[in-house]
Amino acid sequence: MITDVLSWGLAALSLWSAWRVFRTDSMMRAAYLLLASFAAVGALLVLLSAEFLGLVLVLMMAGEMTIMVVFMVMFMMNPAGLNPMTMVHQHRAAVAAGIVSFAGLALVGVAGDFPDRPAADEVTTTSALGFELLGDSMLIFQSAGVTLLATMIGAVALTSRGGRFGDAHAGSDAPALAPEATASPAPATDAVEEGAHAAHEHDRHGAEGEAG
Amino acid sequence: MNLEALLVTAAGLFGIGVYGALSQQSFVMIMMGVELMINAAILAGVALWAESAAGAPEGQMLVIVAMTVMAVEMAVGFALVVAVFRVRKADITEKLRRLRG
Amino acid sequence: MTVWAPAVAAVGVGAALVTGTWAVATLDTAVAGVVAGRGLHLRRAALAPLRRAALLAGRHPVTTERPDAPAWVVAGPLLLALAGAALSALPLAEGLAVADVPDGLVLYGAAMALVMVAVFLHGWAPNSVFPLIGAYRFVAQALSYQIALFLVLLGAALPAGSLGLGAIVEAQSELWNVIRQPLGLPLFLVAGTALSFWGPLALPDGEDLAGGTAAESSGRELLVWRTARAAVLVATAAVAAACFLGGWLGPVLPGPVWMVAKTLALLVILVVPAHVVPRVRIERFVSFGWTILLPLSLVDVFAAGVVALRTST
Repeated sequence: MITDVLSWGLAALSLWSAWRVFRTDSMMRAAYLLLASFAAVGALLVLLSAEFLGLVLVLMMAGEMTIMVVFMVMFMMNPAGLNPMTMVHQHRAAVAAGIVSFAGLALVGVAGDFPDRPAADEVTTTSALGFELLGDSMLIFQSAGVTLLATMIGAVALTSRGGRFGDAHAGSDAPALAPEATASPAPATDAVEEGAHAAHEHDRHGAEGEAG
Repeated sequence: MNLEALLVTAAGLFGIGVYGALSQQSFVMIMMGVELMINAAILAGVALWAESAAGAPEGQMLVIVAMTVMAVEMAVGFALVVAVFRVRKADITEKLRRLRG
Repeated sequence: MTVWAPAVAAVGVGAALVTGTWAVATLDTAVAGVVAGRGLHLRRAALAPLRRAALLAGRHPVTTERPDAPAWVVAGPLLLALAGAALSALPLAEGLAVADVPDGLVLYGAAMALVMVAVFLHGWAPNSVFPLIGAYRFVAQALSYQIALFLVLLGAALPAGSLGLGAIVEAQSELWNVIRQPLGLPLFLVAGTALSFWGPLALPDGEDLAGGTAAESSGRELLVWRTARAAVLVATAAVAAACFLGGWLGPVLPGPVWMVAKTLALLVILVVPAHVVPRVRIERFVSFGWTILLPLSLVDVFAAGVVALRTST
């Protein structure tokens, strides 16, 4: 009974915080609201007796969302939401797509004929998972490991300062001399933002050069 | 919660993720939409594992693959965001206009 | 007894948090006095934290311009709750745990990963420069020690064949892990000091940042933050005592007494360097974490795995 109420509450929390992610002005709060949504789903997983998966999800997402906050402060105009602005494009199409995908998946979920084989309450998931990982699914596990290694190498290669054919900035666009007429807010602040972004970039490079 | 309620919750999270990925201009917010979609997939996967698959460990393996996909997507996504910003000085999608029809 | 065990253990966790944080503050004051040449006055050192706490609780809080109020209110209690969550998976005696889940180590890991979130919230909230720098420093520091911390704990879990903290303690009934895995406890203490940002690794709250994430904190909020920091240190020492020093195992005295004694001993070891070793620079710690701490923890896990394989088959 208690777990039922708790799981309904967690599901509602995850949906509400996911919705608030795209409605809040402060970018930092958006990232941590996403973390709250993930934590609610992780708690739901624990209640569904997949404790290892739920706790690992929370563990991973804590680090990932903090990295996302760092990137938000790096790249977004308005990280603390002190100047409220709405930056959306194709809004109605996006809402329609969201509703259509929700309807389709919910229809499958409700009307689909899923077999009723609930997991036993005393199933020891962690050790069974361990045997599965290093037994039947060893190939998947090792491929995931190699994929992660390739990702690490790729991420470092994409963001290294010395590119394959020289400096990473060679061949990049210089900022336009005249402000462009784009959909983003006032061109004057835009140019200031680009200058500030470039200054932040050079500061970060300077710090990396000093430490590395 | 029964299976239908969990699947509807996962569908709701997926719908919000689709809305976010399509409507946001900033790269980081688009990635948050994609993360929400994978979150929904993980929830649906574990719900089906707990209610329909009798707790078979292959279900958990699938969810672990989904988590790996999440990590890979975030890492490469952010690396691409940084690389695109360095080359094109663009932090929102509206500034990438070279291939615009 | 077994029906009441979780409730008794919950009371025990609460008592551990209160007395543990007081013990940390007492040890801090006492060691500071000894290092300054004033001699060891334990009674004075025990009363000083209470006086400071009363002063802080009564002080008028100062706020900054346009802070992120929800984040500021959440950060301190969140850190305290995470320390409590880490302690709740820990058995204080045989069978006496709030929730000795089979994945106790993963629960501890998740709680300690969320410490990064709590410190970042605390540094972001005041909308001020030095706290924000402190928050960023802690993110860099946290990412550097996290993998090493989890690998060392996995090494301690290998002889037990289980991730539950009760099982890990019981697997040390012949030989403590500190002897079986000599690299384990020192690495865990270093990573644990980085996790609870104490002593030489007090980078996010350091004096070179005018107090860092706590630079703009005052009054009750500062009291809760400092208590939470000490609570995380207590949780680190308690988990180290359980995973490496054999927890409640010991000859004559009852289990909880051994647990408390081992935790206190580790707390002394963790608090003394704060007054003896100078603070490490963030760049040096980040390089140290990735180039030395992580490979050593890999060596530790491999060695533990080889030993576990040879003794089990």
